[in-house]
Amino acid sequence: MANRFIFRKKSRVRYFDYTMLLTLIILLVFGLVMLYSVSSYDGSVQFNDPAYYLRKQAISTVLGLAVMFGVMMVPYHFFERLAGWAYVIALALLGLVIKFGVMKNGAKRWIYVFGISIQPAEIAKLAIILMVSYIAVRLGKQIATWKGFLITMGVSLPMVAAIYFITSNLSSAIIVFGITFLMCFVASPDYLKFILMTLVIVAVAAAVVYFIATHPDSDLGVRSTRILIWLDPEKYASGKGYQTLQALYAIGSGGIFGKGIGQSMQKLGFLPEAQNDMIFSIICEELGFFGGLCVIALFLLLLWRCVLTANSAKDMYGALLTVGFIGHIAIQVILNIAVVTNTIPNTGISLPFISYGGSSVVSLLFEVGLVFSVQRSIMIKDYV
Amino acid sequence: MSKQPKTFTNAMRAKLAILYILVLLVFVFLTYRLYAITRDNGERYKKQVLSQQKYDSMTIPYKRGSILDSNGSVLAASEKVYNVILDSVDLNRDEAKIEPTFNALRSEFGINVTDVRGFFESNKETSRYRVIARKLPYEKIQHFIELQNAEDSLIAGVWFEEEYQRTYPGGSLACDVVGFASTDNVGTYGLEEYYNDVLSGTQGRQYGYMNEEGALERTTISAEDGYSIVTTIDANIQSMVERHLRKFDEEYHDNARPGNGANNLGCVIMNIHTGEILAMASYPVFDLNNTRDTNALIGMPMLDEKGKRVVDPETGTKLTITEENVGSLTDEAMYQNLNALWKNFCISDAYEPGSVSKPLTVAGALESGSITGNESYNCQGVLEVGGHEIHCHNTYGDGILTVTEGIERSCNVVLMNVAAAEGVGNYVKFQHNFNLGLKTNIDLAGESRTDTLVYSKDNMRSSELATCSFGQGYNCTMIQMISAFSSLINGGYYYEPHVVKKILNSSGATVQNIEPRLLRQTISKETSDRIVSMCNTVVTGEHGTGKTARPAGYMIGGKTGTAQTLPRGNNEYVVSFMGYAPANDPEIAIYVVVDRPNVHHQDDAKYATRIVRSILTEVLPYMGIFMTEELSEKEKAELEELQLEITAPEGLLTEEEEVGLEDVAEADVPEEGEKSEEIWKTFAVDPRTGYAVDPNTGDYVDPVTGAAIGEKPLDETITVAGLEDLVEISYDDILADLNDTKEEETGDSGEDTEDGDSGDDGAKEGE
Repeated sequence: MANRFIFRKKSRVRYFDYTMLLTLIILLVFGLVMLYSVSSYDGSVQFNDPAYYLRKQAISTVLGLAVMFGVMMVPYHFFERLAGWAYVIALALLGLVIKFGVMKNGAKRWIYVFGISIQPAEIAKLAIILMVSYIAVRLGKQIATWKGFLITMGVSLPMVAAIYFITSNLSSAIIVFGITFLMCFVASPDYLKFILMTLVIVAVAAAVVYFIATHPDSDLGVRSTRILIWLDPEKYASGKGYQTLQALYAIGSGGIFGKGIGQSMQKLGFLPEAQNDMIFSIICEELGFFGGLCVIALFLLLLWRCVLTANSAKDMYGALLTVGFIGHIAIQVILNIAVVTNTIPNTGISLPFISYGGSSVVSLLFEVGLVFSVQRSIMIKDYV
Repeated sequence: MSKQPKTFTNAMRAKLAILYILVLLVFVFLTYRLYAITRDNGERYKKQVLSQQKYDSMTIPYKRGSILDSNGSVLAASEKVYNVILDSVDLNRDEAKIEPTFNALRSEFGINVTDVRGFFESNKETSRYRVIARKLPYEKIQHFIELQNAEDSLIAGVWFEEEYQRTYPGGSLACDVVGFASTDNVGTYGLEEYYNDVLSGTQGRQYGYMNEEGALERTTISAEDGYSIVTTIDANIQSMVERHLRKFDEEYHDNARPGNGANNLGCVIMNIHTGEILAMASYPVFDLNNTRDTNALIGMPMLDEKGKRVVDPETGTKLTITEENVGSLTDEAMYQNLNALWKNFCISDAYEPGSVSKPLTVAGALESGSITGNESYNCQGVLEVGGHEIHCHNTYGDGILTVTEGIERSCNVVLMNVAAAEGVGNYVKFQHNFNLGLKTNIDLAGESRTDTLVYSKDNMRSSELATCSFGQGYNCTMIQMISAFSSLINGGYYYEPHVVKKILNSSGATVQNIEPRLLRQTISKETSDRIVSMCNTVVTGEHGTGKTARPAGYMIGGKTGTAQTLPRGNNEYVVSFMGYAPANDPEIAIYVVVDRPNVHHQDDAKYATRIVRSILTEVLPYMGIFMTEELSEKEKAELEELQLEITAPEGLLTEEEEVGLEDVAEADVPEEGEKSEEIWKTFAVDPRTGYAVDPNTGDYVDPVTGAAIGEKPLDETITVAGLEDLVEISYDDILADLNDTKEEETGDSGEDTEDGDSGDDGAKEGE
């Protein structure tokens, strides 16, 4: 009681979740260490500089941390007013890709702003969190109605379409849609719609997979080969199944405790995009099943701290921002690990805070800043 | 509600909790997946990973050793060159670099980018190795490498593969001796083939392996470069020789028949005290840097797929390769003709040597004690041996000649008498001693075996002995003859001829010195001295057949040879001169063979002696051998024109010498007012040809020597294909044929002999 009294007296003392910050920093530092281990070979081969990727990622991370602390200091309701603008700007940036996009790895996903390459899809994920939170709060109880549900889900559709058709980036489109879906789920009081929708999606997916599996020669484009590879990667070992199979080799050869950090063989040019989408498999190769488990545990801890934040948030808007972040992290981690373990068909999804990618880490740390801002509004007494 | 800030309701908290639990469950499932992969496939995947780690071990090329002349000039060397390799997969990684890379390839190497782009577009997913330009020197790729290494280079997917290319800076210089090597280091012909193992190094290797801890280690074993060889060939002498052979060809090209100045021209210069070859050349030559240039074939006799001369079916003339018909050769025929061009005439072609072998016969007879050397024999132009009449080249007879005069005038009758005194046993023994019929084992690829082309004690009868005494009836190669002859004049020491004197490692240190190899003593020093003095008369003597071989300012010795070829009576001859210098104390031997000179009357050794003279005129001063003879004004002018240093002692020329030298220069001019015994001197000279005409027969006769010129072909073609066949064909029949059909012919003697002689300048003293 005495303590509470003291805190109450010093009412300006704000809540700050050091556990979450520590978890975050461990993830970031661990990510940089692993990135260096994974990318030094590729960096020295391609750029004659083993630290090439590390340097670029470290700069992005520092920038992201600055953004995070900046956002943290701003009361999050400030962003409520900016939601519409953020949404429009994100769409506009996606539009710019059509004209100014730069091809990398066979896809047009990047634009250059003042010499810095930016991936608009990453900004879109941030924008959708801001926008859905705003809409859900405005709709209030109406979100429970079909109309409210459709409006909320509909907000994501232009973004999803733009990402998919302009940048042909299926995974980012899925993530944007998934974030919207999860936020909507938490904001709505009922379950039926969501269960139905999940069932429909699962049924359609199962039907498509069944169709492709039984008609392997049908012309369903790139995605169909990806599904065939998913069903039997070794059959396509020398072709498009190569990456998936190499990732599995990496995980399997790591065993329980791994080969030791820096000892990966798969990173020596065998596993394409090892520093990017496939970094988790190299973590498993070097640190073993145990290392992979630790990474998963770190993410669970981070998410748990966010759940606590959302539950204690002063208002619904703050809580939904946090839920958006939870959805974002959860979907990306799950899909990433599912891809490298060949649990789902291969689609390029990076592992938050660990994979190489500047736009991604800055945009994610912006979201972390929002979560911290939400935390800062929590009075100690409110924190359960 | 709308005014109040909305709160996160308990229902929402519940749903968030459910969401978290769902996420947790999925994470647990994924963790299980991870564990399952490790458990089910861990061991298999571990092996997979190890198996794909094996580095494609990369070979590192070695540098093939150089071939140097005796002064260190490069005859053959390997240079590092670079192949441009396109890694399409690498280039495809960054679209922004594709165009700049193609532009750089076009501007730096002049590569046709359309083709490369086409290949890239269709293989950009898979191809990692594609050679797009070959064998560029470092200077050509230097700028590209700078571009590639620039800070913000836009070039990707291009690298360079090292290779060595064989180059021959001398082009066709010593082509037959050097031979050539393909890019995969296989030597063909000559030194490149014979010393292939020495010149070749050991390839290096770069490979990876697993150490005990299962970690990858990479090891590089560097390549070992091949050894270089230093030859005894002096590039200066070699090029002098080649120049004069070419000059001969130019002079007689398309002269009497279409084609080269002779079917083959060969010249060997040898150090008689060591067996070192100073120069070895033949004509036609070919460019070692472009061995398949068919232009080099033009002028050569045309061979068919089986290597036989092509004969025009209508006219019956033997065909020659011309610019027009060179393209019509089939692949096999082309191969035969190219081989004829590439082979080394001096070591791989066997022929009947003719009178050049006379000193060998005399040396054997002297050494065996069969003659004293002081005998005299009466030459009446013909001698009957074993029932056959074998003629001398001078069918009118030279009268009584000593052995020395027999050599000087190249008298067949004297030699047949000497051989008869010597007997088959001694003759065969000494021929064997002189290594005829045996390979000399010179260190060059492609030396012929001639063991079946000489007679043995068992199959040689008196008539074969008679013809062999003047060099018809057995075959030898140039290198065999000059090696044997060198032992005659150096005191009797037979050295194995060799071309390489030193082997160096890649850093230039001597690995092996190849010392002269003395095989045996063929004759005694005394006999050798006598032979030298006899052979000196060939050049110095009044009737010497080799006067025209003497270079200005020097005295040399030697022996001429004019050999009939098969079939007898085809009017085709192999003329030659074996010389040595200086005459009183020989250091070098020179042997020139002109195989069927392109002239109407081939039986004239002057075609060979003039080549010897022009070569020695340059070579002897170059070798630092001082002149011993006084020079006529004409010779001085000649040497000045050649810009050669005159090392002759100053002094006036005697009248006699003047005449002699005049002879050298214009040996063809008939002399008048000679002794009356030489009846051919009284014959009228045909102003058209310059030859005397025998009023009884209408045949041309050499106005100086009395030798018949340009014998008419035999009426019956004698089918003697080769020496192996000869042994089986009845010798008597052939002789009978020869003598019946052509009585006037000089020196016929059965089988393959006819007149062996020819260098004929002197058959003046008849008796």
